[in-house]
Amino acid sequence: MVHLTIDGKHIEVPEGTTVLRAAQQAGIHIPTLCDHPHLTPYGGCRLCLVDVKGARTLQPSCTLPATEGLEVTTVNEQISDARKFVLSMIFSERNHFCPYCQVSGGDCELQNAAYEQGMTHWMIQPNWNTYKVDASNPYFSYEANRCILCRRCVRTCQELVGNFTLGVEQRGAASILVADLGVPLGESTCVSCGMCVQNCPTGAMMDRRAAYRGLSADAETIKTICTGCSVGCGIEVTIRDNNIIAINGDYDSPVNQGVICKIGRWQSLEAMDSGVAVKTPMIRKNGELVSASWEEALAFASKAIDTTRQSLAALASSSLSVETLYAFKKLFVDGLAIQSVSASEMGKYTNAQKSLAVTNGVFEGHLSALNNADCVVTIGEDLIHQHEVVGFMIKRNLPKGTALICVDTDGSAYGNLPNSVIKINPGTEQQLVKGLIAGMVKLGVKSCACDGCKNPDQVVQDAANATGVESTLILDAAYILGNAQSPVIVYGSTVTSDVDASTLTTIKCLSDMISAEMISVKGNANSVASAQFGLDQPVDMHTAKAAVIVLGDKQPCDELLNAVSKVNTKIVFSAYQNALVETADVVFPVNNWAEEEGHFINMDGTVQKRSQILAANGQGKASAQAIHDLAAQLGFSIDDHWMEALQSTPASVTIA
Amino acid sequence: MTKPKVASDWLAGCSGCHMSLLDMDERLLDIIDLVDLRATPITDLKHPDKDGVDVGILEGGINNSANLAVAKMMRERCKILVALGDCAVFGGVPAMRNFFDLDETVRYVYTQTMSMDKEAIVPKDPELAVPQRVQALSEVIKVDVFVPGCPPSPDAIYHVLSELAQGRLPNLTGNLLDWH
Repeated sequence: MVHLTIDGKHIEVPEGTTVLRAAQQAGIHIPTLCDHPHLTPYGGCRLCLVDVKGARTLQPSCTLPATEGLEVTTVNEQISDARKFVLSMIFSERNHFCPYCQVSGGDCELQNAAYEQGMTHWMIQPNWNTYKVDASNPYFSYEANRCILCRRCVRTCQELVGNFTLGVEQRGAASILVADLGVPLGESTCVSCGMCVQNCPTGAMMDRRAAYRGLSADAETIKTICTGCSVGCGIEVTIRDNNIIAINGDYDSPVNQGVICKIGRWQSLEAMDSGVAVKTPMIRKNGELVSASWEEALAFASKAIDTTRQSLAALASSSLSVETLYAFKKLFVDGLAIQSVSASEMGKYTNAQKSLAVTNGVFEGHLSALNNADCVVTIGEDLIHQHEVVGFMIKRNLPKGTALICVDTDGSAYGNLPNSVIKINPGTEQQLVKGLIAGMVKLGVKSCACDGCKNPDQVVQDAANATGVESTLILDAAYILGNAQSPVIVYGSTVTSDVDASTLTTIKCLSDMISAEMISVKGNANSVASAQFGLDQPVDMHTAKAAVIVLGDKQPCDELLNAVSKVNTKIVFSAYQNALVETADVVFPVNNWAEEEGHFINMDGTVQKRSQILAANGQGKASAQAIHDLAAQLGFSIDDHWMEALQSTPASVTIA
Repeated sequence: MTKPKVASDWLAGCSGCHMSLLDMDERLLDIIDLVDLRATPITDLKHPDKDGVDVGILEGGINNSANLAVAKMMRERCKILVALGDCAVFGGVPAMRNFFDLDETVRYVYTQTMSMDKEAIVPKDPELAVPQRVQALSEVIKVDVFVPGCPPSPDAIYHVLSELAQGRLPNLTGNLLDWH
């Protein structure tokens, strides 16, 4: 610990703490612009200048390490004049005329900084240079004229997202932000996660959908979770007049620590903006879907279910809330005793873990293990395009020396990353993992007493033959993995869909050998809950005479549309009009993700609550309520003991 | 005690700042009690008194030779000069044209905009003021009080005028300080 004095206040901080952080911890405010609490200090803007006793000049507190006996003053006339001058220089560099800008009036950190210094004007007029606006990305624009070159976006792209798209070209006043080697953002390697937009202090990075729709002061911000996939990222939704203005990552969320992807930030809103809501219940009469009351529709549906009970199939989206999936299971499995009941993924992301959990109990770790991993093995999942936030958590650690070994049948998704891509023949994941185990034994970095490892040379050679991978590459990977201190193995659907868990058992063997954390991505937001409720069985919809399909706010896939094309009677719960609704016989309007609350179990097993963000319009009901109503019509009542039900079956993760 | 004399004028602005001044509603009567309102664009007197006023208020930046002459006259005839609004303080919206070539801008607005027909020409009468790059007042004359805002709120203007009327230099802070 070191001891220092800031504005006369005695402060004790751990060695390595900057003066700025020490001041913040002590509740002393120092104005900043280029600093961001989740990025490494940069020292670019000079707004945080402070007076240090004995120092020749004012010092930037954000990069100044606290040292024993340091005496710091944060407020005096010299500091104030310096800060005003710094701000004047920044204002003069580009077009910072506030009335033109969408963040003026509270959301601009540059403007707020000027107010804080009591600036009624700037001392130096702009130099009137102009820069091109890059509007090539569909979700955000880069308005270089408002850029203050703080490089928060550059650091965000590197340190939080690991994408390394943004950088700065030229020097001094000619410095300009570029994507890759100077291509338009829309043609660059940008993955549109929008973290740079979230962290931009001015209006330079502009959220195209949110711009000019209201400032923070006009709006309300609600913390909730994204239910776009099984990661379950924390998000902050800004709403105004029952409309969502913007979505940002929640830095307080332990799951994603602030980072979200384009699905969470923009695409979930795109679906909402373009979707045509189902406004009332509908019944097919004389070949036409016509509006009906809830009572009529429920009566129609319950009659159809009653008469076709023997050949009824029921399917629910695994993106629905736990409450909805539980009600669905209670009604169709426990109540009506229907055989063909499942959730949309039918166990693709959960089968193997569920099987292995029966004998092993909880064996998977938390996503946060990736933050400290020195070696990550990914098996059978493209984390660059799916579950992107998991990919970000891996990629951002690569510059720190974390080794990445990607086992994939395609491998192209990982192609531009600076680490081993092991491209295997389809279906040979298990052989490769066996090869890695034997490779470590052969190289002497680990030992194993099992029968399979008695002749490691042969096993490595067999693995090479089966997978089509050079045995030297397998040995290279085995060497890296065997020497790792905190390895993590991430695997996906090619491993998890197997009910027999044969590949997963081998991965578990590898994991035990090297004390690795095991993590599996689990598809939709509630795949874990679906599996725990037993909604993971394969269901053949083709042979059913009637089908109940709970879509929620999801669109039906072509596979589903084909499967139910011959089904006589279709009862559909949907928030939006779509191809399935068009061919349905009864349609119940349900709320979209923002209009209903509910719980979700993410890939770590963490039970998280999604809040209701918007008031529902029309006659739509929460999905769970709609199923409760149908159950009541059929003479069943449904309890709410979903937590017990979730925990009654062994799971690979701790559900809590 | 004689009331301080106040005059105002508008230059390259939209008159919105003067509208905001009027927007202080009944508080205008308090101001009139405290000051002797002389020439303004919205009263009959059009030029500040030759023997000078105490406070001169200018809205708008300088975008031609006429504005320049008015600004210089106000500076010569007032003791305390107030730059009222973003255009006077920074250049404001008219200054957007500084990002383009001046001759090209003049040609464009007189001949190419939607409302112009084929015969449209750039007027060249020597009586006309000569356009220039838009300047903030402080680039040309000494400014004593800056009141930013587009427009400044009636509260901010009331605060400035009442402080000046009572012989104090106003200090804009909190909600009264707004650049937009």
